Amino acid sequence: MGFNMISLSSYLFISMLMFLSGIVVVIARKNIIAILLGIELILNSAAINFVAYTRFVNNNLDGHIMSLFIIVIAAAEAAVGLGIVIRFYQIKESTHIDHASILRR
Amino acid sequence: MFLDLLFLISAALTILGTLLVVFSKNLLHACVYLLASFIGVAGLYVTLGADFIAAIQLVVYAGGVVILMLFAIMLTGGNSGPEKLKSFALGFAPEMGNSKTYTLAFLSAGVFSSIVGYLIFSTVGNVSEKSLQPFVSTVETLGKKLITEHVLVFEISSVLLLGALVGAAIIARPNKSNL
Repeated sequence: MGFNMISLSSYLFISMLMFLSGIVVVIARKNIIAILLGIELILNSAAINFVAYTRFVNNNLDGHIMSLFIIVIAAAEAAVGLGIVIRFYQIKESTHIDHASILRR
Repeated sequence: MFLDLLFLISAALTILGTLLVVFSKNLLHACVYLLASFIGVAGLYVTLGADFIAAIQLVVYAGGVVILMLFAIMLTGGNSGPEKLKSFALGFAPEMGNSKTYTLAFLSAGVFSSIVGYLIFSTVGNVSEKSLQPFVSTVETLGKKLITEHVLVFEISSVLLLGALVGAAIIARPNKSNL
């Protein structure tokens, strides 16, 4: 078959779809935990891009190292973010983003 | 042939899981769909020959982060359905979004994707793709690189993880009064 399915652009397409879904989730959802889910999608799509360019362009493993650190930072961010969400829930008894408006008044 | 099949299954799992995260109305279901999407991404890493990253993706993301999210959702009671309306300037949207917020989100995503698509897919034809090499194990090379070239980032990330652990524990501690 002439059409090669596993190519750089197919990975870029999947990663772009994931990134756009993350953007849509971050903008459209009003729940803080749902916004954190969107941020995880965005970080993961960036990691796919690094590994795909490593495979198809230069084959040294620096992209793998970059995506490894992306995973580390995403884990740290999820831990701190969820800590903040639980603290916010203890104070306000809600996870709605519009209730986080103390600094606006 | 096996790689093509694995790529098809992983790509379908990733795309379907991602779209279901966007359109699911239940936060708990969205989190489980996110788990499916992350497992699909691990399959994509396998088709790229990144065995170590695929294992880390399964262990850290699918086993750690998503379970942490599920814990937080259950601790905060999930989304509580349609809310009592309080009028802010834009009106008070429900927790999982309504058609107004989705319209705004898709408009901005459309603008963003046209810009990025114009920038990236005009350059991606100029990238000289090398001929694909056979898969080799990346664990040994990654370990050597982490200890020699990238050792500073490696150590800083350990300090970052310690700080995140202590910070999360301090932020989420309960009040003294309602202990």
